[in-house]
Amino acid sequence: MKKHHWSWSAIYLTFVFIILYAPIVYLVVFSFSSGKTMERYRGFSLQHYADLFADSRMITIVINTLLVAFLASLLATIIGTLGALAIKDARRPWKNSLLSLNNVLMVSPDVIIGASFLIFFTMLGVRLGFVSVLLSHVAFCIPIVVLMVLPKLNELSPTLVDAAYDLGATRWQALTRVILPAIAPGILAGYFMAFTYSLDDFAVTFFVTGNGFSTLSVEIYSRARQGIDLEINALSTLMFIASLLLVIGYYIISKHGGRRHRIVVVREGDAQ
Amino acid sequence: MMIGETPMAKNIMEFHHVSKSYDDNVVLRDISFTIEAGKFYTLLGPSGSGKTTILRLIAGFDQATEGDIYFDGNRINDVPANRRQVNTVFQDYALFPHMNVAENVAFGLQIKGVAKKQIDQRVKNALHLVQLDGYGDREITAMSGGQRQRVAIARAIANEPKVLLLDEALSALDHKLRVQMQTELRQLQRQLGITFIFVTHDQEEALAMSDQIMIINDGKIQQSGTPVDIYDEPLNHFVADFIGESNIIPGVMKEDYLVAINGQDFECVDAGMRPDEKVEVVIRPEDLDITTVEKGKLIGTVATQLFRGVDYQITVIDQRNHQWKINSIHKTQVGAQVGISFDPEDIHVMRYNESEEDFDARLDGYEEED
Repeated sequence: MKKHHWSWSAIYLTFVFIILYAPIVYLVVFSFSSGKTMERYRGFSLQHYADLFADSRMITIVINTLLVAFLASLLATIIGTLGALAIKDARRPWKNSLLSLNNVLMVSPDVIIGASFLIFFTMLGVRLGFVSVLLSHVAFCIPIVVLMVLPKLNELSPTLVDAAYDLGATRWQALTRVILPAIAPGILAGYFMAFTYSLDDFAVTFFVTGNGFSTLSVEIYSRARQGIDLEINALSTLMFIASLLLVIGYYIISKHGGRRHRIVVVREGDAQ
Repeated sequence: MMIGETPMAKNIMEFHHVSKSYDDNVVLRDISFTIEAGKFYTLLGPSGSGKTTILRLIAGFDQATEGDIYFDGNRINDVPANRRQVNTVFQDYALFPHMNVAENVAFGLQIKGVAKKQIDQRVKNALHLVQLDGYGDREITAMSGGQRQRVAIARAIANEPKVLLLDEALSALDHKLRVQMQTELRQLQRQLGITFIFVTHDQEEALAMSDQIMIINDGKIQQSGTPVDIYDEPLNHFVADFIGESNIIPGVMKEDYLVAINGQDFECVDAGMRPDEKVEVVIRPEDLDITTVEKGKLIGTVATQLFRGVDYQITVIDQRNHQWKINSIHKTQVGAQVGISFDPEDIHVMRYNESEEDFDARLDGYEEED
């Protein structure tokens, strides 16, 4: 009976994962097809990868996208961490409103954020391009970082800062030597989340890219409108592998990076 | 680590008319006291009494609203916490989770820029003093509650403070470990020769460890003195009730050394009140003995009896319907008619609203005659 139950849940899970991953596998398989379309698989070829690496416009866009993601998540992590520190120390009525403002930005549709940034930048006369994309990415990444860092801060004992002062630390030393190291896992998680959000954002970016500047998601969208090109499959495959490596990397860092997880031999005595 | 320095009989710390309020909430009201160097002090009071606030003022985490705080002869009201020669053991230990035991203990020394070699030596000494030799490389998460407590103490004493503050430092430990730590803390204080100021709500802990106890309630010092003084001669109802168990009965002081309670006159050892002054009388349950009806100064019926291991906790209701708490090693019978006996020196008489100064002056006044 038990075995029967298990196999049903296994079948269900397999089914779910097939549905989730089938489109990606389909896309990856066709990236190695020698044909020009996705209608029929026509034998193995790396031609589309060769085309991709020869496409200097595409390479530039990939680099731009990575650069935006790197800078946006870095800036967002710094601002978001400081923001989380401020929210933590804020007094009651302020604390709640700040947190609400942060959460509203999380749940509001990307289209609205994108459109409002477009209006905002146009009003200020900011030229659409790298800077406008970077600024808007920083803006929507900050709330993510705040949400990842704040729980870590709340976990800390409220007397931890007092203890640092008590032992002679200045405010700056208390921050850099006690608070930040203690919440480092949250900051790291916030950075990775912000990075992935920036990397695959389409809606906001679509509004604020100008003529000369483009990111991957926007470029793929505009190329797909002109008919599917298998070069995009090749690119998507590489992106998929990259994000897979990123996830594995994050997993390894969070699992083995912290020294606290070192195995220690428990002595005899009053260890319980 | 303070070996070679003999504790001097001088005041390391003084509070002059210190008050503290948060917004409209007054926490401390015009508190004055002195702390002698090299002694073990306990601030004892119920939660919300203001005892932790006093500790925070000494450590520098909070600023006094009024009054002056002196440390070693200098006013320190405006000296920030990180520049005071005081270290604290926190109730929740507040150990740094990302550092191992040795790094935690070394933190204060590193901040001060002490040489690496000297840091290693002092960390080793501090860990030895709290009996954690060889635990330096352990992560905090691999330590038990009692061990974390010791790390917190080691971290504080590694800085060689002149005053060590302990905020409810033992309250998170189980009973057996707590009693063991009481003894160890007392030994550690003698060994280091520095001043300990210990905050607790546990009166047994206070009586067991302290040279001096200050009883705090309602933002004021109710009474200060040695554990024996406070136990034997409580100043007022609050102190008598808070420290130990007690029978507190209203009475009338007929004349010096004679008090009337329950309509009967009893010899006592208190004096200095006005004739016929209304007073309160304290008799500790362990000072009352169960005896026969003929021999008893009071007569009553045993209402309850509880066996507590060391003794029996008995309640007797007397003829005037007053309930007496008695602790006795002898068993009696619920429902039995018994007598209660006690000696004149078992009676302690308290005046209403007497200040500590008046109380001390009155005690000095008649004790000389003994």
